Amino acid sequence: MRWLQRHVRPEQVRELSLLILIIVAVIIFGSLISGYYTARTFNRIASSVAIITVVAAGQTLVVLTRNIDLSVGSIVGFTAYFTGMIVAANNGLPAIVVVLIAIGMGMAMGIVNGVIVAWGGVPSIIVTLGTLAIYRGLLIDYSGAKTITTESLPKWLVDLPTTELFYIGSIDMRAIVVIAIAVVIVFQLATSLLAFFRRFYAIGSNPDAAALIGLPAQRMVFTAFVLSGALSGLAGFMTLARFGNITVVAAQGLELQSVAAVVVGGVNIFGGSGTIFGAMLGAVMIGTLEQSLFRLGISEFWRDAVLGLLILLAVASDAVILNRLRALWARSGMTLVDKPATLPTTGEATR
Amino acid sequence: MAAGRLVDGRPPDAGLPPVLEMSDIAKRFGATQALEAVSLTLRPGEVHALLGENGAGKSTLIKIMTGVYQPDRGEIRLAGQPVTIGSAAEAQRHGIAAIYQEPLLFPDLNVAENIFISHQGRGAVNNWRKMFRDAADILAALGVSLDVRSPARGLTLAAQQSVEIAKAISLNVRVLIMDEPTASLSAHEVAQLFKLVRDLRQKGVAILFVSHRMEEVFEIADTVTVFRDGRLISTRPRAEVTPQSAIADMVGREVGLLKARPAVAKGDTILSVRNLSREGVFRDVSFDINRGEVLGFAGLIGAGRTDVGLALFGIEPASSGSIMLNGKEISVRSPGEAMAHGIAYVSEDRRQLGLSLPMSIAANISLPVLRRFLTRLGLIRTGEERKTAEAFRKRLAIRTPDVDLAVGKLSGGNQQKVMLSKWLNTHPRLLILDEPTRGIDVGAKAEVHAMIGELAAEGIGILMISSDMPEVLAMSDRVLVMREGRQMGIFSREEATQERVMTAAMGQQEDAAA
Repeated sequence: MRWLQRHVRPEQVRELSLLILIIVAVIIFGSLISGYYTARTFNRIASSVAIITVVAAGQTLVVLTRNIDLSVGSIVGFTAYFTGMIVAANNGLPAIVVVLIAIGMGMAMGIVNGVIVAWGGVPSIIVTLGTLAIYRGLLIDYSGAKTITTESLPKWLVDLPTTELFYIGSIDMRAIVVIAIAVVIVFQLATSLLAFFRRFYAIGSNPDAAALIGLPAQRMVFTAFVLSGALSGLAGFMTLARFGNITVVAAQGLELQSVAAVVVGGVNIFGGSGTIFGAMLGAVMIGTLEQSLFRLGISEFWRDAVLGLLILLAVASDAVILNRLRALWARSGMTLVDKPATLPTTGEATR
Repeated sequence: MAAGRLVDGRPPDAGLPPVLEMSDIAKRFGATQALEAVSLTLRPGEVHALLGENGAGKSTLIKIMTGVYQPDRGEIRLAGQPVTIGSAAEAQRHGIAAIYQEPLLFPDLNVAENIFISHQGRGAVNNWRKMFRDAADILAALGVSLDVRSPARGLTLAAQQSVEIAKAISLNVRVLIMDEPTASLSAHEVAQLFKLVRDLRQKGVAILFVSHRMEEVFEIADTVTVFRDGRLISTRPRAEVTPQSAIADMVGREVGLLKARPAVAKGDTILSVRNLSREGVFRDVSFDINRGEVLGFAGLIGAGRTDVGLALFGIEPASSGSIMLNGKEISVRSPGEAMAHGIAYVSEDRRQLGLSLPMSIAANISLPVLRRFLTRLGLIRTGEERKTAEAFRKRLAIRTPDVDLAVGKLSGGNQQKVMLSKWLNTHPRLLILDEPTRGIDVGAKAEVHAMIGELAAEGIGILMISSDMPEVLAMSDRVLVMREGRQMGIFSREEATQERVMTAAMGQQEDAAA
């Protein structure tokens, strides 16, 4: 126990238990569904998880600052549709340009959210609830309710979801899964190593103290929303590649899934703590449940209910479980030790 | 080494140039002159204590030094150079840091990161190993052993303050402000903190030490400055100050601004409280209140006076002790029970606990006893409500065109009268008033005082918590003084002088002040 306490933090215990839960869920579904342990199941779950993960990474940054971004589903749908429209009209565009167009579009929408929240002083839940409806409304209006079809897209894009980059055993790693893994690695490293990203934790953890040492809270909140928008844009591109056929309701409900992934993954909804890696585990949990329940023939509406239940359980149990763990981890606190001899010890100390 | 020669209690070397000089500082908030012509000098290696009653201007001065407020007038010089301190970050760049009673750490960040969070020039990439090593070195130099990897959440208050001090030292602080740092520490932790303070003094840091604990001030300070009513009254080397002279400076205002309330013939005992305690908040409080009597509760902020009021009203029930009302033992577990027993509590916080600001005056007054205003079908009889409100409006001279006006539109004094009406409407036998005249103008204050006198004359027992010393002395038949959750004594009207009450509130011996 001592060793455990020295080397593992309560938050990591929580992530570990989530990993165990995922394994348990997979074993249960494996016994209920015949032919569950196949590459096909993995690919299906992995592509769904990949998109949720990328959105959840951005959502994590926003939630760390004590905010929430409900507009992500609309941003993903919007970028998927309009990127698809642009590519359909210009089949010769290089892949990198297409990706940058999608990210740029998402970023622009994130900027709108960020400006209103950070400098307008409007609560993020209201702002992004508004832009959720506005972005979706714009999509429906400008699209004329037409559908982007696979036939209109260039071959490389249509083939992307089935493009295998490399194999691990019999499981092939597909491009969009690799994109998601890259996003997780980049942002996990950034949030644990870069001083700039550590400030997201600081301003969410204690806004008063952050203000007192002059951290630019407004700029940080703005940055979080811009990154969330950009990552949603990337997820929009991934959605376009995965489905090929994009309607105006694409990615509807993704905000629920991303928030669920974030809180199930142990990110504190009140800000200040949580990791990108945790959010990814949350996304894996949710993607696994969703695809597996689908295979079990459970209706879409019940699947949403299960998601809602997961969010409630995660948030309600979080405080209780983490407090218990922290109490278990709490040290005796501080002790004063003898001062090293090298320091000048005059006056009171020598008496 | 010059700093090494400094010994406790010795006046700081006058030869050392001052690190911070504030001259002729003034600050005004609305009608209140918070600071007037204050000049203060801090020298390296000096522990400079700041004493004063609540509202004497200490906090305002600290906030000016840390860049939270800008002075209306006056000059601040740092090492001889005039500076403006525009923000907290700027104060930090100037080497001025503050530690408060409640440390302001980031609970989710670890100890090392808390120490270095506001450092510039440690690079864009966190080198965790170097950061942990540096943090451990700083703490070791302070003689503190603390796991630098553990999050700040869950550290004891004393440990959190050590982290704050480590943070200040790592920023090469020249001036360290400590605002009541010992208020929530145990005796052992205070000893640890003082050891750190002495080390800092040897390093040549100027320390501004604010405390309400006289014995601590005399243990640690080199210089003692006393504030009163926004003015600096005296600055002296500690050797020339005694607790009595400091208290005399703190309270030495003109008395007699308020007329003493005429005494009322006392009736039977209404309330009898014995050994009332709430774990960790207050202990063994015992007093009686008679019909028609005003018992004043004096003491400094945080002495536990409001907590006794909250316990009697059942908001934060007491954990032990007895409450007798009209000779019968009662238990008060909720405000509803308290009201049923005829106890009313007028909160010090009008906005949070007292009134619903968007609701009308009439609706606020009827709220605690709404059942009296309901028809058999559960509808509110608004006519009846308005009639009651009108009666109170006349009786308390509430200045409003209409009792249907939202309470939020009234001035502070009139809001206070509405709150008083609201609780008088419950027909209390015991009225608890918490800071009944704070933040209201002189005219409204006199009207509230007259009302308190009338209510006492009607036979209501009144418990009045107030930090306004002249008010306590003028209105009370007897004064109970509290300090750090303990009852320091009850003084009759004849015994209660400013000096006596303040001496008790500061925890000094009665005979020492005589």
